[in-house]
Amino acid sequence: MKYLFSSAIILACLAVAKYLSLLLNSSFPAPLLAMVMLLLLLLTGVVKEHQLKPTASPLLNYMPLFFIPAGVGIVEHLGLIGQHWSLLLTVFIIVPLSSVLLIGGVIAYFKGRENDD
Amino acid sequence: MTTNLWWLSVPVIICLFLLLRVLNNKTTHGVSKALSNPVCWAILIIAALLVTLDLPYAPFAEHSKILSWLLEPAIVALALPLYQQFVHVRRNLLLIVISCSLGVINATVVASLICYFFAAPAELSASLASLSVTTPITLIVTDALGGIPSLAAAMVIFIGVLGGIFGNLIFSLLNIRNAQAKGVAIGTACHAIGTASLITEEAKAGAFASVAMALSALLSAIIVPLLYPVLQHALV
Repeated sequence: MKYLFSSAIILACLAVAKYLSLLLNSSFPAPLLAMVMLLLLLLTGVVKEHQLKPTASPLLNYMPLFFIPAGVGIVEHLGLIGQHWSLLLTVFIIVPLSSVLLIGGVIAYFKGRENDD
Repeated sequence: MTTNLWWLSVPVIICLFLLLRVLNNKTTHGVSKALSNPVCWAILIIAALLVTLDLPYAPFAEHSKILSWLLEPAIVALALPLYQQFVHVRRNLLLIVISCSLGVINATVVASLICYFFAAPAELSASLASLSVTTPITLIVTDALGGIPSLAAAMVIFIGVLGGIFGNLIFSLLNIRNAQAKGVAIGTACHAIGTASLITEEAKAGAFASVAMALSALLSAIIVPLLYPVLQHALV
């Protein structure tokens, strides 16, 4: 029963989000809208953590299984990757490096470089 | 080829991933944890199987649909860790939210600029716009932007591995020892793989990384679909 109930919460959020994106003809991804809606339901206390856990925990625990098939889709784009490898390599190094430097720098500026507690 | 290759989809994915995860759980060092990441290897091994056996991707995707279908409910379930992390960090929330947002915006802007200088096709720049976030969110956001989700996912996974290997080296070069700075930077830029690696090295920084990862999932979901069209408009 608790599995059924927590599944129903998740699927209801997803269904409402899908309906809203169709209705508003929005390009905003429905699963992300559903995630934000569920977060708001949790923060306002309408949905309780323990009501969600039975289904949410296994879903989260095995989440990588659900995107491995999509990741394997990379085999269809090997030509494109070979053609643009220099761009991809540049992005691969510069994007995370600049973000780490920026965030690390901002927090170190406000909080100091050492541990504060 | 007419043989039905259903066995190469769901059974192989599940067995391979669980086996790789057991091996990954045995690692105790941050760098080896990142290098032995089960998602990264599962994708590489299955992709190598398809390429060497000269099998097309479409039937594989068709047979593994049951797994792909569960991705959407799993993304909705991400609200739970998001909520749990929010409750933990109320005290530092503002600084973390600001630095996470900066990281997410930075990743999209820098990637778009690089794509602009390389005169990359639109499909490619859309695939590189959402790299500062956990893989499932990347897939969805990239798809919405008209990019190639699998390429974005591969980039995100490799960036995570890179962060797991070099993260600590960069912080020691910069002389940053603050757990919050390290954690939020790695969690935002290098999401799950970087975070897992950081947790094994330094629990406190790892906790901040988990918060930042959850938060950047939310922020990316909101910011990137709005920011990317604006950037494309400005750069063309």
